[in-house]
Amino acid sequence: MGLAGSTGTVACVVVARASRGTGTGATADAVAVSARALTHRYVTGDGPLTVLDSVDLDVSAGEFVAITGASGAGKTTLLSLIGGLDAVQRGTIRVGHDDLSGLSRDALARYRRATVGFVFQDYGLLDMLTAYENIELALAVAGERRGARRRRAEELLDAVGLRSRRGHRPAALSGGERQRVAIARALANRPRLVLADEPTGNLDDTATHRVLDLLRTLPVQHACTVVTVTHNTVVAGAADRELRLAGGRLVSP
Amino acid sequence: MSWRDAIVFAARGVRRRIGRAVLTVAAIALASALLSSLLIAGGVARSRVLDDVSKGGPLAGIRVDAAQPVVGELQDGSGEDIHGAPKTIDNAAIANISKLAEVKSVLSVMVQPVLVIPPQPAVVATAPAKVKRPVAVSKPLPYQDGLVGADLTKASELPVTPIAGRLPQPDSMTEVAVTDGYLRELGLHDNQAKLVVGTELEYGSAREIRSLGAQSARGRWVRAEIVGVVAQDVDSHESVLAPIAAVRAARAWTINGDNPAELGTPQSPYAALFVVADSLDAVPRVRQRITTAGYANSAPETLIANVQRYVHVVEIVLGGIGLIGLIIAALGISNAMLAAVRERRREIGVMKAIGARDRDVRRVFLLEASFLGALGGAVGTFLGWGIARTLAAVVNNFLQSQGLAGVGVNLPLRVFAIGVFGAAALALVAGTIPAVRAARLPARQAMGDR
Repeated sequence: MGLAGSTGTVACVVVARASRGTGTGATADAVAVSARALTHRYVTGDGPLTVLDSVDLDVSAGEFVAITGASGAGKTTLLSLIGGLDAVQRGTIRVGHDDLSGLSRDALARYRRATVGFVFQDYGLLDMLTAYENIELALAVAGERRGARRRRAEELLDAVGLRSRRGHRPAALSGGERQRVAIARALANRPRLVLADEPTGNLDDTATHRVLDLLRTLPVQHACTVVTVTHNTVVAGAADRELRLAGGRLVSP
Repeated sequence: MSWRDAIVFAARGVRRRIGRAVLTVAAIALASALLSSLLIAGGVARSRVLDDVSKGGPLAGIRVDAAQPVVGELQDGSGEDIHGAPKTIDNAAIANISKLAEVKSVLSVMVQPVLVIPPQPAVVATAPAKVKRPVAVSKPLPYQDGLVGADLTKASELPVTPIAGRLPQPDSMTEVAVTDGYLRELGLHDNQAKLVVGTELEYGSAREIRSLGAQSARGRWVRAEIVGVVAQDVDSHESVLAPIAAVRAARAWTINGDNPAELGTPQSPYAALFVVADSLDAVPRVRQRITTAGYANSAPETLIANVQRYVHVVEIVLGGIGLIGLIIAALGISNAMLAAVRERRREIGVMKAIGARDRDVRRVFLLEASFLGALGGAVGTFLGWGIARTLAAVVNNFLQSQGLAGVGVNLPLRVFAIGVFGAAALALVAGTIPAVRAARLPARQAMGDR
């Protein structure tokens, strides 16, 4: 799988470069992710809890990687650290040219806005906003102009096949539709890295396959690296590579 | 995130929790209503008291009498008249006083002795059925009085306040207003002022004619409609107010006869002047200059200044009470927003996950707080205005029953600004802690509680 994955990655990046040329201003490509001696602890009532213990990780640019493991293995924490949702306590993480260690809160926000797109298990859509508005919000946060926002949001709704549902609020969408909106939102600012936390965790098989199809196309069509945390063997099997976390360490799957 | 996007997003946040927003706005509105109604009431009380002290004229008004000042007796500002020997006020005197420093305007007053014949039959015949108090039943007799004339185009500078009807048209020769002295001549109470409005009276000025050793008098009679009743005398002893042209004509009739002084016509063309100084502070200096010019004068500037001070203290106390209410409401905003932050942890996390900075989140929450505050402030200010108007209606009923001028209630821009911007500012302060707390929430909240 490693060789096939590598070959696939190169192909993805090449296609991605070509596709970015037709975008609305993005010039960057998918990024590689590298973590070294990553250790993370939480303070609990019973004392410090080590969730990640000297984790070394490498994800190539344009790769689609699945991280699996039992509950509490540290998958979500690893994703949070790579995504800049949490500050690095010990060790280093490099995403492209960005070293996330020691970044300020504003710098992390800038990193999340410019480099990362998140997909959450429970979608993370704002229920007061329509599908269109949820996508537009990510563009508004990035300071995009209204016209560009409208064009990009509609383009993404088309891409996930939900143009007809643009005016619906999350409560009026099915689980699969919500996750597709969430993926569209994650892609709004042309991220170079998409992080998905159990993206199919709340979906039935049909919706799972549809979302999975979308995720698989991201490296090629949207020029981004994809790291997903999953319990779903179908998703893990569809990835270029599977990494397993156990007891806070990466082990062979 | 731009300000515009933050405003739109904050508005959506408010709309989503409309029930809580309504309750928060209602709390602010009630507190703001309390504050604004107290401030309006304080303002009305201030103007009413000052009106009373200044007799409806400008606060910086000075009355100049056709008399010399008493040496060493410049009034102490209590408004008490101290007159010296009579002295003529003519157009030259008016011109001189007008040129004095810090004099804003000069209004002349003319008084002519006349015989007043009240309406016949008595007013009782026209009394509306709803008036239950006893009204005059005997025929009122003609009486001697003074007809006061002033330039009514500058009525706002005169110490007169209509309590019923209106002032005469400035150029009318057949319209007059009367004072409570006229009501008493008719045996009417002050609260029956409306009864005389629309009735007619006659006034006559006399001319003495001597021919072939015989002495006779002829009268010049004018039938005039009473168009209003004023609360205060423009001249303390007179009861009929007319445009100055009508009084000038009456005076011309008398002084063109023989020996007009015998008929009580004053030698001075003008009985008094109302001088308005540039400001209340300038009144003592202007009075000194008028005294130096040789005219007795009086003004209640010390009394007005004292009243202003006392009323200001009352306004501060009332404003303080309202402010306490507003602060309590602001605490309500703070509480509601803290609850909102707790409920929206995930949403805040998601916003941060898609790149929102701490200040973007803080801005959204501060905008929500100030929006709720400003809306509550605006609603409350108008509510307070309504409350003040309702109270004013009750007070006016009482004042009219006492034969006094009512109070007018308007919404001063200052009160509106305090109500809206004050509430918004307080809400902003109240929303600061929740907003900062929201901004400091870690972005990992996007992952939920896992």
